[in-house]
Amino acid sequence: MRLRRLKVEQLRQFRQPFVMDDLQPGLNLIHGPNESGKSTLVRAIRAAFFERYRTSSVDDLRPWGDSAAAPTITLDFDAQHKSWHLVKSFLQRKRCDLTIDSTSYTEDEAEEKLAELLGFQFSAKGVSKPEHWGVPGLLWVEQGTGQNIEQAVEHAGEHLKSALNSLVGEVASTGGDELIEQVKARWSELFTPTGKPSGDYQRLEKEREVHQQEIDELQARIQKYQEQVDRLGKLTQDYERTQHERPWEEVERQLEQTKERYRQVQKLEQQQAQEKETLTHLQNNQQLLRQNQEQLWSLNKKLEVRKAELDKAQRELEQAEARSPATASSIKAAKTAYEAAAKQLEQARLQDIRSRLEQDIRRLEQQNQTLTQNLEKARQYQQELEQAREQSRQNQIDSREVKVLKNTEHQLKEERIRSQTIATRLTWQLEPGARLALNEEPLEGQGERQLLEESSLVITGVGTLGITPGGEDLASTRRKLSALEQSLTEQMTTLGVDSVQQAEYRVAAHEAAERTLRHSRELLGSVAPVGIDQLLADQKETESELQKAKAQLQNSPAPEPGQQAQVTDVASAEAKRTQAETRLAEAEAEERKHQTELLTRRQTRDNAESEWYQLQDEVQNPEHQKQLQKLSAELAGIEDKRVRLEATLQAREQEIIEARPSILKQDIERYQRSISNLRQTQEERQRELRDIQVRLEAWGAEGLEEQCNEKVAELEKCHRRYQELHRRAQALNLLLTLLTEKRQALTRRLQAPLQKHLNHYLSLLFPQATLEVDEHLRPGTFSRGTELGQIAELSFGAREQMGLISRLAYADLLREAGRPTLVILDDTLVHSDTDRLEDMKRILFDAANRHQILLFTCHPEKWSDLGVAPRDILAMKEQACSAPG
Amino acid sequence: MPKFLHTADWQMGRAFSRFETEDGAALVEARFEAIEKLARLANEHQCDAVLVAGDVFDAQTVADRTIRRVFNATREFTGPWVMLPGNHDAALAESVWTRAKRLGAVPDNVHLALEPGVINLKPQGLAILCAPLTQRNTYSDLTETFNTLETPESLIRVGLAHGSVQGVLPEDIDSTNPILPNRAETARLDYLALGDWHGTKQIDERTWYSGTPEPERFRNNGAGYALVVNVPKPGALPKVTPLETARYQWHQWREILTVESDLDQLLDRLQALPELSVVDLRLEGSITLAGEEKLINALSVAEARFRSIQCDRSGLQLEPTDDDIAALKADGYVGEVIEHLRIQQQDEDAEAARDALAILAGLLKDRKQEASE
Repeated sequence: MRLRRLKVEQLRQFRQPFVMDDLQPGLNLIHGPNESGKSTLVRAIRAAFFERYRTSSVDDLRPWGDSAAAPTITLDFDAQHKSWHLVKSFLQRKRCDLTIDSTSYTEDEAEEKLAELLGFQFSAKGVSKPEHWGVPGLLWVEQGTGQNIEQAVEHAGEHLKSALNSLVGEVASTGGDELIEQVKARWSELFTPTGKPSGDYQRLEKEREVHQQEIDELQARIQKYQEQVDRLGKLTQDYERTQHERPWEEVERQLEQTKERYRQVQKLEQQQAQEKETLTHLQNNQQLLRQNQEQLWSLNKKLEVRKAELDKAQRELEQAEARSPATASSIKAAKTAYEAAAKQLEQARLQDIRSRLEQDIRRLEQQNQTLTQNLEKARQYQQELEQAREQSRQNQIDSREVKVLKNTEHQLKEERIRSQTIATRLTWQLEPGARLALNEEPLEGQGERQLLEESSLVITGVGTLGITPGGEDLASTRRKLSALEQSLTEQMTTLGVDSVQQAEYRVAAHEAAERTLRHSRELLGSVAPVGIDQLLADQKETESELQKAKAQLQNSPAPEPGQQAQVTDVASAEAKRTQAETRLAEAEAEERKHQTELLTRRQTRDNAESEWYQLQDEVQNPEHQKQLQKLSAELAGIEDKRVRLEATLQAREQEIIEARPSILKQDIERYQRSISNLRQTQEERQRELRDIQVRLEAWGAEGLEEQCNEKVAELEKCHRRYQELHRRAQALNLLLTLLTEKRQALTRRLQAPLQKHLNHYLSLLFPQATLEVDEHLRPGTFSRGTELGQIAELSFGAREQMGLISRLAYADLLREAGRPTLVILDDTLVHSDTDRLEDMKRILFDAANRHQILLFTCHPEKWSDLGVAPRDILAMKEQACSAPG
Repeated sequence: MPKFLHTADWQMGRAFSRFETEDGAALVEARFEAIEKLARLANEHQCDAVLVAGDVFDAQTVADRTIRRVFNATREFTGPWVMLPGNHDAALAESVWTRAKRLGAVPDNVHLALEPGVINLKPQGLAILCAPLTQRNTYSDLTETFNTLETPESLIRVGLAHGSVQGVLPEDIDSTNPILPNRAETARLDYLALGDWHGTKQIDERTWYSGTPEPERFRNNGAGYALVVNVPKPGALPKVTPLETARYQWHQWREILTVESDLDQLLDRLQALPELSVVDLRLEGSITLAGEEKLINALSVAEARFRSIQCDRSGLQLEPTDDDIAALKADGYVGEVIEHLRIQQQDEDAEAARDALAILAGLLKDRKQEASE
């Protein structure tokens, strides 16, 4: 395919018609700065092919603000050896006209032709999207999408494949892939994604196992049932045979015989035992008799012994009796000595008492005398004391009061003196018998009186003279005097004296009496410290003691006159007596001992004598002799019996030993056990029979075999179903495997040409590198030296380069298949470094030999060595303006 | 002129595991009906007794219900029945018979020959010499005692035994429960009623296998009969008349399909079978896709018609014709797959290849139909 001319008008910034013609079959480098309309031209080519003329979704084509615009694109190109002329208008004038050589197509028909030619689809509604773009989507690279190739390949897939089919001459199955999907769906009903049975297939497999297990169990039970039936049969047989034969009865008979034999032996044994006992009796008897005989024989001997004993006792008695007088005399002597000593002791004691009494009397008389004297003195002192006490009491007076009295008297005296000095003195010298009464006080003779008070002096027969003392102090003196006098009188009255002198005298007398009293009291204390009464009592006691002592002395016997000289002191007398007493006691003990011995010996002698007599009587008794003879006879008889018995015993013993009673006993036990065992076995049989019968009845009721048959039927059903599924599974497995394999083989065949073209470019870019195409014809694994990986893992620049060489490879493939190819690159390879870009230029140049390539760029300088003349959009615009039409 | 019905091998309690549950149940039911039919026939033919020569039950431990139903089914004929334990229901210490007795299921007119000896049916003029199996299998001839067993002169001497007559039956080498071929002669029997062989079979003029009254497997010849035996008088030759008793006919066909007409013939034959049939087909050879479709349709129809039909096609190769393949529109690698499978059918994994091919053909056909719609 070769695009020759492109014209746009009323399209974005190309409000005016813009023409780009003379496009070359190989490389075309179109450049212009940003916003110059580079991308608009690319968009215009796309729109001409992809967008439906009648769509309203291409507002982006409209020049800005021009709602009346009808964006129009006119394309002239050669394809399939024909000349194509396409005019497509949008929006305001929706039209599509296509002329192929001289044949014209319009509208949808025209668009179908285009889609068929290039291999793309139209969008059913709205703007065309990448999934519709098909082959052009792969070969027309928009700005910045060069590296994204997977999607584009997928969208172009069918076209690529059909191209490959025609190329390789293979027929990919129509709907083969769909078929694979169907088979896979059916396969998935039976298998999990990993190929394991699932769903019914898996369930049935398990069910089969479960059924098999149940059947196994049932069969095991049936087996057991049958074994039990067999056991029952055998047991029944055994039981009945045994019941018929009754083997224990034979044994019982044997047992009886053995028992009988054993009983006989036992009887023998019993007899043996009895006779052995008899023998023992005999032996005992013999022994006893022998003993008796010996005893009788021994009596004579005993008699002699007893005689000897008697003689000895007699002898000893006599010896003892001989000692008796000596013992008696010694005790007598001891007694005498003791009595003498006792008497002497008595005398000594008497003497002692008397002398002590005499001493007591002397002491008491002395004491009595002293006491009497003291008593006398004490009485005297007592009397004096009493007198002094009386004296003291009589003159009892308070010395302080006396002092007050004396003071009062003194004051009075002084007052009186003073009053006398001031008092009216009345002096009289009366004739005898003449009488005067002063203040009714008769006055006689001569006298003087100081008057201090008004006084009246009655003179008989004369009348009364009143005297009134004068003076200034008289009244007070008189009152003072009177008070003092009264006080004195009161004090004296109180003291009980008539005068002050008396009072003083009494004081002195009292003090003297007190002194005497104290003195007497001391004296009395010296003779009778506790008092006279005690003294008197002491004296009386002493006196009575004295009297008593005297009486005692008088009563005590006077020592015997002759003895006086022997009398020593009491202590030595006592010692002597004690000595004598001890000796006497010894003598007496000796005597007692002697007497006891005497008695004992006499007793012994008597006993021996009586025994001797007794024995002598016995021995000399005729009965004794007879007994002896009888014993001898008896002994002989017993001996004979014994010998015979022993012979019998021995014979019988032999008999018993030969009968082997222990073995017989064992036999009995053995037979008994056998019987018991036999019977028990039979009983057990019966029991087991019953058990088995019961068990079998229960099991039989379950209908095990019928159950088992049913289970087998179920298993087989399950198995059949499983087999069906299994067969189907196997078939599907096979089918799927085959389909997949064939499909893969085909893909591999298809991949080959593409791989060839890819390798061609790759070797230019990366020598020794490989890039493999996968089953979907996408570039897949990339390897370079030791590197191995997916394209997606490469750097952005490398990916873009890979993308581009892949696209060129597809283009080669399509071209080989006779499909039209046009490569449009919009500002591509901007991320490539200089070296790579250099390689890419070689590649592009190479590809341009086979394809028309439109390369749009805003960096013309980068592409200056591409070997083609760059075309400047701005320049072309200028041209268009300057050359209208 | 005593007359009796001779039957055997009822095999009650047998399950038919190879069939679908429903079919199996129907076949079991048919066996009960067979007993009822025997009772009816005994009445119809004025038989004096019914002799069952062993294997009344298929197993010792059948369900109680089965036991009761068996005896219930005999009710219609009130004359004496003599049932002999066979190898399946031997008179063991504990057996289906002891259970039946315990259950009280055995009617008075049914005589169980659980011990060897003679059962005298005086009113009927019959003396039945019984040789029951008292073990599952014996290797001695149990009928030997017949030689010495005495019976009243006036009674017909009929032996009743279960086992294989030596040297007569196929597959009887070393077989258990042997029976002397000329036992009827040696034991002076008027008739020897045998069981164990499931097809009706005459051994000599006095010795017969009655066979099972209702077939229960494909491989027996002449199953489905009972024998009416008429012995005019002691010593006279018996007159034996087989009566058909079977409800279902069992057919097992092994066919090799080579040309298309083979299939047509087969289908015609199938069509001709009565409805009460149990069919087992095994097909070999090859068949076209069209033929396969036809066969499947025919089998589908047959399934509805017969009691049971089973068809084993694993030995049958699918041979799609060029037309078939063209009709399937299998191009490209799918075509290759078909070709591969066709060839693989000759290999060891033929079955899978055949099935795979059938599945593929089915899918393609469906697609074609979808496309045409």
